[in-house]
Amino acid sequence: MTSDGWRRLRRVLRPDLPAEVDTELQFHVEELARELEAHGVPAEQARTEALRRFGSVGEVRANCIAIDGAQQRRRRRRERVGDLLADVRFAFRLLRRSPGFTVLAVACMGLGIGVTAAIASVTHAILVRPLPYQQPEELVAVYSKVPERGIKASNISYADYVDWRDQNRSFAALGMYTWWTLAFTDGAGDAERVDAAAVTANLFPLLGARPMLGRTFTPDEERFGAERVVLLGHGLWTQRFGGDSSIVGRAIQIDGVPHVVVGVMPRGFAFPDRERAWVPFVPAPTEWHGNRSNAGAVGRLRPGVTVAAAQGDLDVIMQGLEREDPKQNLGWRADVMSLHDDRVGDLRRPLQVFLAAVGCVLLIVCANIANLLLVRGAARERELAVRAAIGAGRRRLVRQLVVESLALATLGGALGLIIAAGGIRLFARAFPAGLPFDLRLDLEPASVAITAGITLLTGLVVGVIPALRATDLDLAGAFREQAGASLRSKRAGRLRAALVVAEVGLSAMLVIGATLLLKSYRVYTTTNLGFDQHGLLAARVTLPDSRYQSPAERSAFFATLLERLATLPGVEAVGSAQGLPFSGWDVKAEMSVEGRPPRPPHDPLDVHFQTVSPEYFRTIGVPLLRGRWFDANDIDVIGDTGSWQPRGRVAIVNEVLARRELPGQDPVGKRIKFGDHASDEPWVTIVGVVGEFQHYRLPTVMGPAIYFPFFAEPGRNQALAIRTSLDDPTALAPEVRRVVRAMDAEVPLYEVDTFERTVLRSFWRQRLQGQVVGLFATMALVLAALGIYGVVSSTVAQRSRELGIRAAIGATTSDLSRLVLSQGVMLAGLGIAIGWVVAFVASRWLENLLFGVRATDPATFIGVPVVLGLVALLASWIPARRAARADPLVTIRGE
Amino acid sequence: MPLDLLQGTLDLLILKALSWGPAHGYAVARWIEQLTDQALTVGEGSLYPALHRLEARGAIASEWRISERNRKARFYRLTARGRKALREESAEWSGFVSAVSKVLRANQQPAS
Repeated sequence: MTSDGWRRLRRVLRPDLPAEVDTELQFHVEELARELEAHGVPAEQARTEALRRFGSVGEVRANCIAIDGAQQRRRRRRERVGDLLADVRFAFRLLRRSPGFTVLAVACMGLGIGVTAAIASVTHAILVRPLPYQQPEELVAVYSKVPERGIKASNISYADYVDWRDQNRSFAALGMYTWWTLAFTDGAGDAERVDAAAVTANLFPLLGARPMLGRTFTPDEERFGAERVVLLGHGLWTQRFGGDSSIVGRAIQIDGVPHVVVGVMPRGFAFPDRERAWVPFVPAPTEWHGNRSNAGAVGRLRPGVTVAAAQGDLDVIMQGLEREDPKQNLGWRADVMSLHDDRVGDLRRPLQVFLAAVGCVLLIVCANIANLLLVRGAARERELAVRAAIGAGRRRLVRQLVVESLALATLGGALGLIIAAGGIRLFARAFPAGLPFDLRLDLEPASVAITAGITLLTGLVVGVIPALRATDLDLAGAFREQAGASLRSKRAGRLRAALVVAEVGLSAMLVIGATLLLKSYRVYTTTNLGFDQHGLLAARVTLPDSRYQSPAERSAFFATLLERLATLPGVEAVGSAQGLPFSGWDVKAEMSVEGRPPRPPHDPLDVHFQTVSPEYFRTIGVPLLRGRWFDANDIDVIGDTGSWQPRGRVAIVNEVLARRELPGQDPVGKRIKFGDHASDEPWVTIVGVVGEFQHYRLPTVMGPAIYFPFFAEPGRNQALAIRTSLDDPTALAPEVRRVVRAMDAEVPLYEVDTFERTVLRSFWRQRLQGQVVGLFATMALVLAALGIYGVVSSTVAQRSRELGIRAAIGATTSDLSRLVLSQGVMLAGLGIAIGWVVAFVASRWLENLLFGVRATDPATFIGVPVVLGLVALLASWIPARRAARADPLVTIRGE
Repeated sequence: MPLDLLQGTLDLLILKALSWGPAHGYAVARWIEQLTDQALTVGEGSLYPALHRLEARGAIASEWRISERNRKARFYRLTARGRKALREESAEWSGFVSAVSKVLRANQQPAS
């Protein structure tokens, strides 16, 4: 029956309320009139009198219609809900009746929904959820930059900060912080070096961070010479001081100096990242503009001020400084960004890529399930035709089928929630040093809502197409079975083929993207770093401020330490530097090479520098290319040693510096100094050249570097590199700790780890990208193969009669399997071609996540389609073989 | 002079009137007037809305029949739920009436 006919029928059946009320009231009036007539009133008059006695007919009529209408609406609503419940019950009964299909579909959907919900939840937690501060949208991070030299988000100087703080017109408040470490000797346990931060007194109030006990800092405490105070993190307070609240107001020894504990911060608070204690920032006498060595500033914008406006404001201040003192400030600008961008900006692109990838997986899942439902829809054609014949409208049938797919999705969503919870936690584990305190990655209400939303969407997407398809019924045809059905199944077959092409296309895209990212990760792990990270243990030692005041004392301590460590069993070599490769140590200064033309002021020679022990390079496996190593005699010092820069007489430079600044010459014997050519720093003689090695984390390129002998200007804070023959370098750690404690129990050993792990950890984002997208690509590939297999199998089933006839009239088995194979291969080929083109265009989006691999890497773009083609061939070969093997007699008779 | 019907009382009277069998609105109005010797007149303005409300409540049901004089008329009949309501509400009403009568018959001011 046409839908038009239905509408007419429904209009006939539905009672016409106003007409009924009219009839009823009219009857009453007529009865009344009749009675009056019976009493002798003339007919004319009787009717008028009856109407008069009845009163306001219109009002009564309206009242009755309103009451009946409301009643009718209630009834209809009840019926609809009842129908829906019946549909739901029916859907679940149907699913129970075909457990194989249900389990497969629910597993598929659960997986798709689960991974999608996990990635969406993580993205929400990282990119959308506001930071846990007061009005976090007003907070910005301020660093330094030199746009001309590509320096971004770099350290700031205290002098810069003071000028910004006092001259800006954009900030309600601007605070500063820098990284610090504090050695705790009081409380439970060994001497311990704790990651801390030195902060200006206004910083915590600005963030809206309140202490759990006591108070934060006062501006008075920023003065040089003020009483030393410390603020403890919750973890440190409970671990080291047993959660004793009477500690507030007491003095404890830190770096050998008494510090009064002024307060304890609440559980979970850590600023800027994972720090566990804070001290006031006390400016040193060397805080000139050019000394840009503090971590950064955090500001709260005045209401209505944008990041760009604040940037412009600080630009004006920096331009003034540049005019006043170009030597220290040339090219330097403030680098203002929202605090949120600063915290998570580098995760934005990877997360977008993950979302896109997981979206593809979910689409493929949907296509696969839709395909399964189409097959079922074809099988249920008769059932649906019967329902339509006994009066179910098309909308009713569509609704029933959509309810069925929603029921399926709901089961899948329940499974998905479990998978999402696991996925989110797994993702949290990818952060190598643990999550920063302001990120929470867990199954939270938002993730449950996201999962529910994805489930609903999946159910609808999966259900609607097959439902529309299946209910596009030709009743007569469906009953006549054969003739109509074959036409319909041909149309359904086309739809299924299109779904498979889409699946293959999406998975081709994903596999290409994943291959690029995995290749890039492989480039990281196989890059020759120039040093040998295997069998090396790293650690760091800091001497307390209050003791070891003279260079001789410090130098003696480290000389003895290195000597004793070298005699430990299993130790092959021991070296020391200020910062080890991949540790993040990054100090550079402008230098000038004697005899080279002066460089333009905006492009100085920036040189990485540090002091190292004589054995350092040999220990980490860096070769000497020319000249000599340092030796114990390199302790001569030039001039004033109170400066912050080393002033030894000799230096070793790296290959990059030699190649770039002294091309074609022997660098040994040449002289170099800090500052520009006009500076009055003393010249230092180059005695050796070492091979280039990757000190910075990849993909940062290593530039020129210079190394000074440690014993000429020993610092307090040295990193140790210990080469061992042991399989696990960390097995040495307790021994090393014992040696240090035996020398001085107040000297903490910290950041103990193997070089290998440090290097690997620095690749965590690349690894994460490769693994996540790789996992999704694998899922996509398997699902697409299943899709191909499913479509080809069902074609074989549908064409078994035809195949049987062909076999009977002499087609060989290879003819038959070629016939079937060609269908699968054609679908796959089309899908791969489409996916390939889209990937080619879209891979540019991955460009800045890649390292050492071009976004259009030819090997990937040729290799992946070949592999996918083989997978498609295999997926269609299995049903093809079945088709070829079938006995023609059986298949023909089977019809 | 006819008394005004208390709210809710009309419903009770309608249920009672229908307890003898199906009837149309006109008959219900007549019966109530006759039984009360014209003391209570039922205005059509309140009778029909009351009938429709009772039907919506499920206390009575209606159907179209042919009247005694061969006319199409809407007949109402009591449902099971309506019978139950009649029982309960008439008990309540009797309780109410006897309570009020007791007060009115009192010849002594209660001690307070």
